[in-house]
Amino acid sequence: MLQMTRVVLLAVLLASATPAARAAPPAARDTPTPAVPAAVPGAPGETGSASSTPAEPAPAASAAAPAAEGATPATEGAADTRGLDQEIQDLKKDVVDLNKDLFILEEELLFPANTQVAVFLSMDIGTFFALDSVTLKLDQREVINYLYTPRELEALLKGGVQRLYLGNLKVGPHELVAFFNGKGPNERAYKRGASLRFEKGVGAKYLELKINDRQRKLQPEFEIKDWE
Amino acid sequence: MQRLLKGLCVALTSLGGSFVSWAEPTYALIGQSAPDFALHAAIGGNARLSEHRGDVVVLSFWSSRCTPCRTQLAALNRSLATYRSAGLTMFGIGVDDDAVQAHDFARSAQVSFALLLDPAKSVSRSYQVDNLPMTVLIDRSGTVRHVLRDYSADSEQLYLRQLRALLNE
Repeated sequence: MLQMTRVVLLAVLLASATPAARAAPPAARDTPTPAVPAAVPGAPGETGSASSTPAEPAPAASAAAPAAEGATPATEGAADTRGLDQEIQDLKKDVVDLNKDLFILEEELLFPANTQVAVFLSMDIGTFFALDSVTLKLDQREVINYLYTPRELEALLKGGVQRLYLGNLKVGPHELVAFFNGKGPNERAYKRGASLRFEKGVGAKYLELKINDRQRKLQPEFEIKDWE
Repeated sequence: MQRLLKGLCVALTSLGGSFVSWAEPTYALIGQSAPDFALHAAIGGNARLSEHRGDVVVLSFWSSRCTPCRTQLAALNRSLATYRSAGLTMFGIGVDDDAVQAHDFARSAQVSFALLLDPAKSVSRSYQVDNLPMTVLIDRSGTVRHVLRDYSADSEQLYLRQLRALLNE
């Protein structure tokens, strides 16, 4: 379903982008294009005349001419490559921009601001707890069970915040329950839960699961924060 | 007589080739994006397939009760030692129900790649595993390219040819 929506969106975007690309940047398109055709017809024309010129006039002039004109196609070739590189880079940038727009559009369509709920996860220090997985339940229904790899943990410990879940909820009271699995102090299996009752208003709702080290108790601490 | 033998050999080879070419397209995932997964490893940390986009990834499905699996894992380990520096990543995915047996097998296998555990068989279902050992080759863009549904000296040669081609892409 999600993929189908993306395909439809891509088609719509492409359809809307194509005329714009045709109409809007003639100047932008012209900039690299003249470099290519100017070089291409110029080069054979000049070399053609160069090959015919040395045969007829004085041999001294003919010796100098090919040397000078032999360098011209090489520089023009380099200019061609540069122009082509620039075009490829522009194309890549367009693709990245289009993809970004598509993601935003997709998110706006699938998760409208009035029903959107997003759950983030952050970690601080992590001396007393090595996270393995998190299970999220929204109103008694399991919505995600996420397994963490060493790379992801490294990123979280460096201060990264992960968007764990994005979904829709209707206005009213709800309950979020999070189960944290991993290894606690002394490398022992450790499972803890945290829950939060919250009121979903008209706007988007953002919640954050925070894992901290509680130094005084030498234990990890799990809390759910409601971003007002 | 010699001619007859030669002809027979050619016929058998072409027949074998046609079987291979006939068998491979039946695997529906070829040419499709490889389903992503995250699994616990028997030894070491968890692994997620999408983290290895850009590498050629080999997935080998095994079970502790499958005898050829052990031989195949050893052969795969040799190929990993040769091609790791060229961008090869390998995962063994165990489909055992019994976690203890799977762990014992993983410890005794002595391979240098991660042996992951899939007791719920969610990953083996998404990769349509219908035979053990089964090897899936994924290219650098994350597309399933080849599948080998058994292990023999011939299939090892075929695997190495396919692997080299993917690494050269």
